[in-house]
Amino acid sequence: MIEVKDLVKTYGALAAVDRVTFSVPQGAILGLLGPNGAGKTTTMRILTTSLSPSAGKAVVAGFDVVDQPEEVRKRIGYLPEIPPIYGDMTVINYLKFVSDIKEVPQDKKANRIGEVLEMLSLEDMSRRLIGHLSLGYRQRVGLAQALLHDPEVLILDEPTRGLDPKQILEIRKLIKSLSGKRTIILSTHILPEVSSTCDDVVIIDRGRVVAADTVENLSQRLSGGKTLEVEVKGPAAEVEKALEKTEGVSALKSLGNGSRGVCRFEVTTDGSNDAREALFQCIVRNKWVLYQLTPLGMSLEDVFLKLTTKETAA
Amino acid sequence: MNSRKLMALVNKELIHYFSSFMGYVVLFAFFVISGYFYYLIMVESHQASMQPVFQTMVFILLFITPAITMRLWSEEEKSGTAELLKTSPLTVWEIVIGKYLGVCAFFLVTLLPTFVYLALIIANGSPDYPPLVANYLGYILAAMAFFAIGLLASTLTENQIISAIIAFAMLLMLWVIGAAGDSVQGPMGDFLKYLSVFQHTGDFFSGVIDLSHVFYFASVIFLGLFFSVKILESKRT
Ligand SMILES: Nc1ncnc2c1ncn2[C@@H]1O[C@H](COP(=O)(O)OP(=O)(O)OP(=O)(O)O)[C@@H](O)[C@H]1O
Ligand SMILES: [Mg+2]
Repeated sequence: MIEVKDLVKTYGALAAVDRVTFSVPQGAILGLLGPNGAGKTTTMRILTTSLSPSAGKAVVAGFDVVDQPEEVRKRIGYLPEIPPIYGDMTVINYLKFVSDIKEVPQDKKANRIGEVLEMLSLEDMSRRLIGHLSLGYRQRVGLAQALLHDPEVLILDEPTRGLDPKQILEIRKLIKSLSGKRTIILSTHILPEVSSTCDDVVIIDRGRVVAADTVENLSQRLSGGKTLEVEVKGPAAEVEKALEKTEGVSALKSLGNGSRGVCRFEVTTDGSNDAREALFQCIVRNKWVLYQLTPLGMSLEDVFLKLTTKETAA
Repeated sequence: MNSRKLMALVNKELIHYFSSFMGYVVLFAFFVISGYFYYLIMVESHQASMQPVFQTMVFILLFITPAITMRLWSEEEKSGTAELLKTSPLTVWEIVIGKYLGVCAFFLVTLLPTFVYLALIIANGSPDYPPLVANYLGYILAAMAFFAIGLLASTLTENQIISAIIAFAMLLMLWVIGAAGDSVQGPMGDFLKYLSVFQHTGDFFSGVIDLSHVFYFASVIFLGLFFSVKILESKRT
């Protein structure tokens, strides 16, 4: 549904987005997780056609964002980082305006506005000037705008920002209920937000993808397990089998075979003990040659240190 | 061009003008200044024509236009609402024309008191109607040309004050370029004079509709809108 390949956006010498690749299957919710300045907003701007990429390709709802932006625009709902609201309009007038520019059928307009107001508990605010609303209500009006034309793809930049804890839970529930039919990308720097809402997660830092995985796998990797890169000279299939059985190894992924019979693996340990010794013993026992045994995922940990990992600190 | 979307954009601009302090200041200025000149001129000259009023108003419009147009795009860019317009199924031409028609619609409101003067003129004499039509056409075309330039200035920056200064500088150019033309000899001088706005309002105000002048204003309007579109398109990068 959304395909991003080697996306690059440079500002002078700075690569705000640096060869970012990921995809979101239809009906899934992807969390774009990263600290301040990671490139989340820039990526979303490219996906919503408000910014053109320096290089790479992005396909949203089946259309290329550079070649057919008009088709993409018809199919997306976008909540930008700053909610795009007009302070001098009432909530209802604003939503009427948005229905008109987003081609909500004239006869469904009133109904649809009513539905969206209800979804975001905005009914009591409908006649008020947006400029007079509190921060959280403005955010909700911004969300209402994104949902109004019932788009097949939703791109939400920090959707729960500025909301009170009760609303945060409600909006997350709402977002989850919207998936299935719709494909959703949301950005956040709050780790628990991803685990409570998303199916998949892409972690970016300084423009680069640091990790892309399902939320399940990621939490496993987080729960103490370390990732190691192992390079062994030996028969690939046998090496793989032996390493997999080694004590302390929870997952193994082949990184391909190099020249001269060298094969590389990404080994995830369960975190109960340091598996490096066991791995080394195993390789020596089989009379293979160990080329490399390097802990990976340091950068991932670095990123996590910068993330908000507790809900209360948000 | 989709008329429903254009109407929505025009309506939004009007909501803005009528809920902002600046909108009322501008309306008030128009009403008071045009009323004052109408009074002065009618009492003094007893002419059955809108010419003196409009001639003065065009000049005043030169100063008021930046205040009306400065926010057109700058404010959208500054407040983040530009992202909504840019990612909605709107073409850049629809956005630009919608905003342009919005400011023109607001301008129509400022014309309301002139209809009162018109009624007084008609009631007190038997004026020639074609020249009155020419008077109105000249004034409206000049205003529309000014607004196209103001809109263009507004696409250049997200700072409203800078946008107003650029608009004013460009409008001033269109005025003083005539004086420059007077002091230059030959075809170059003629060309500079041709660019000046006031070269083209004179005939309208004396009651003549000359298509070459209509063409001049239409060109200024088209160029203003065209370059606004080009600038907004280039902003995606
Ligand atoms: N118009 C611009 N000109 C120059 N640099 C920019 C521009 N827009 C963004 N950047 C830079 O690109 C990088 C990524 O910014 P981006 O807004 O995408 O980060 P983010 O992940 O959304 O961060 P946050 O969590 O703070 O919202 C930052 O270093 C930022 O300074
Ligand atoms: Mg951001």
